[in-house]
Amino acid sequence: MIAVKDLRKTYRVPQRDPGLVGALRSMWRREHKEVRAVEGVTFEIAAGERVGFLGPNGAGKTTTLKMLAGLLRPTSGEVSVNGFEPQRRDAAFLEQITLVMGQKQQLLWDLPPRDTFALNRALYQIPDAQFRETLGELTTMLSLGELVDRPTRNLSLGERMKCELAAALLHRPKVLFLDEPTIGLDVVMQLQVRHFIAQWNERFGSTVLLTSHYMDDVQALCPRVIVIAAGALRFDGRLTDLVAQVKPRRRVVVRPPAGFTAAFPPPFALEGEAWVADVAPADVGAAVQQGFAHCPGMDLRVEEPPLEQVFADFFVQHRTA
Amino acid sequence: MTRALRAMPTLFRVATAQLSAYRAEVLIWILTATMPLVMMALWDAVADGGPVGGLGQGDLARYFTVTLVARQLMSAWLSWELNPLIRTGGLSAHLLRPMSPFWYWLVQHVSHVPLRAVVLVPLIAALIAWRPEMGLTLDPARTSVFVLSCALGFLLNFVAHIFFGALAFWTGQSQGLFMGWFGLWSLFGGYLIPARLMPPWMAALNEALPFRAMLSIPVEIGASLMAPEAWLGALASQVAWLVAFAGVAAWTWRRGLRRYEAFGA
Repeated sequence: MIAVKDLRKTYRVPQRDPGLVGALRSMWRREHKEVRAVEGVTFEIAAGERVGFLGPNGAGKTTTLKMLAGLLRPTSGEVSVNGFEPQRRDAAFLEQITLVMGQKQQLLWDLPPRDTFALNRALYQIPDAQFRETLGELTTMLSLGELVDRPTRNLSLGERMKCELAAALLHRPKVLFLDEPTIGLDVVMQLQVRHFIAQWNERFGSTVLLTSHYMDDVQALCPRVIVIAAGALRFDGRLTDLVAQVKPRRRVVVRPPAGFTAAFPPPFALEGEAWVADVAPADVGAAVQQGFAHCPGMDLRVEEPPLEQVFADFFVQHRTA
Repeated sequence: MTRALRAMPTLFRVATAQLSAYRAEVLIWILTATMPLVMMALWDAVADGGPVGGLGQGDLARYFTVTLVARQLMSAWLSWELNPLIRTGGLSAHLLRPMSPFWYWLVQHVSHVPLRAVVLVPLIAALIAWRPEMGLTLDPARTSVFVLSCALGFLLNFVAHIFFGALAFWTGQSQGLFMGWFGLWSLFGGYLIPARLMPPWMAALNEALPFRAMLSIPVEIGASLMAPEAWLGALASQVAWLVAFAGVAAWTWRRGLRRYEAFGA
């Protein structure tokens, strides 16, 4: 169970004017600017939930994750993860969580991942039988194979990420903080990692809080999303509700067979070679019936707005709000 | 503590594997810490006309030979690693583990000792053969106290590195500050001048500074320049400095962690 109440984080960032003069001046007098990265965020996540934590770049997602993992100290507010106060970094707390950052690694760079696994086994005091069982499962689920015996520096980005996930999960954490775990991975690898995270969540009932800029990750893994922008919480609820709120209409697209030239009646309108009806979800059935009645042999599909577009519109709304 | 003790064998195995990945670089680092050989030659020339401050050529050769050994056994470099870890956010991976990262780094340092010994043994054997008048002996009692004193000296150096490394939480980079400290350590620690040859004002000042406990005390014990009845007091002063340094370093580290911004992701 994760509980966050009125969480805030303010950074003090050094400022200087550009150029040589600015550099020289900053040697004598350094000016600072306060950047409010997280401003009063409140939410709760139940054990075993998979939640997408979304927002544009600089929204405060990673800062929030780092506070939840105990790396950063909140400026104010309350955080509780499985009953622990993360900033105290108690060993019992650290044994229950993991933070995977797509752009940072814990694998020992010059050694094969197997050595990092052995190190984590010792640090987390994982019993031998459990270690062997978990590593076996991870090896199968992530298709690690002989990767674990090659020096980390010789692995590709995708291979490294799979090994990172394995290293992060060996101790069977109850809470997974995943910060862009599929960044830079090819499509096949993204699918594999996505599938793996879902499987792991089902197998061990771990709570997953995921940030990603890939909407496919979110759609595949997160029934619930929390959206923040400019440090503040903008939405917390089901993904489908967010879509309905931002892009409530559906597109009924029909392509008549060759030789069919009669115009479709409203609400259909011609878009290139297709007739498109832009309707409310409740009117989709009527539009489909209307289309079939007009041209029974047509090719018809109902399109939901792409998630990327939903979020882009949402972020624009909240940037200008 | 129990967790750290149980993890020790694995920590050593991993640290040794890491060391072997960098063996050429480590070897070069070991060989660059040969300033005592330079100082031995210099002081040899100074004492050519007769003993200086009661130390003859043989005494000075013995002093700097032991300095070479002590320097190798007590080497620490943690602040050089902490600076980039703090600045780039690499420290996060260490902080997420359920064990103080200092155990990991401590074992990394200690794991270098066997390799250093491999390099040192033939070097010292050659020095003894070249300068038999130095009279370096392996008296069991003296050697034991020397090793103990070196261990305390190493811990002092290690803790000093934690302090200077932790300053990077405020300054971003603290190697410059450490180099200032290293200069004082070289001067007052007996790395360049044996404490016995320091001018009176410098010797008096040195009594109030920690540098003697960080190098000179173990060297004086190992080089038979300290009477056995003074050993206990010398070890006690090392322990006192260690306790004081550990307190300051722990406080600085904890305060620094509050400022940690885990950059880079």
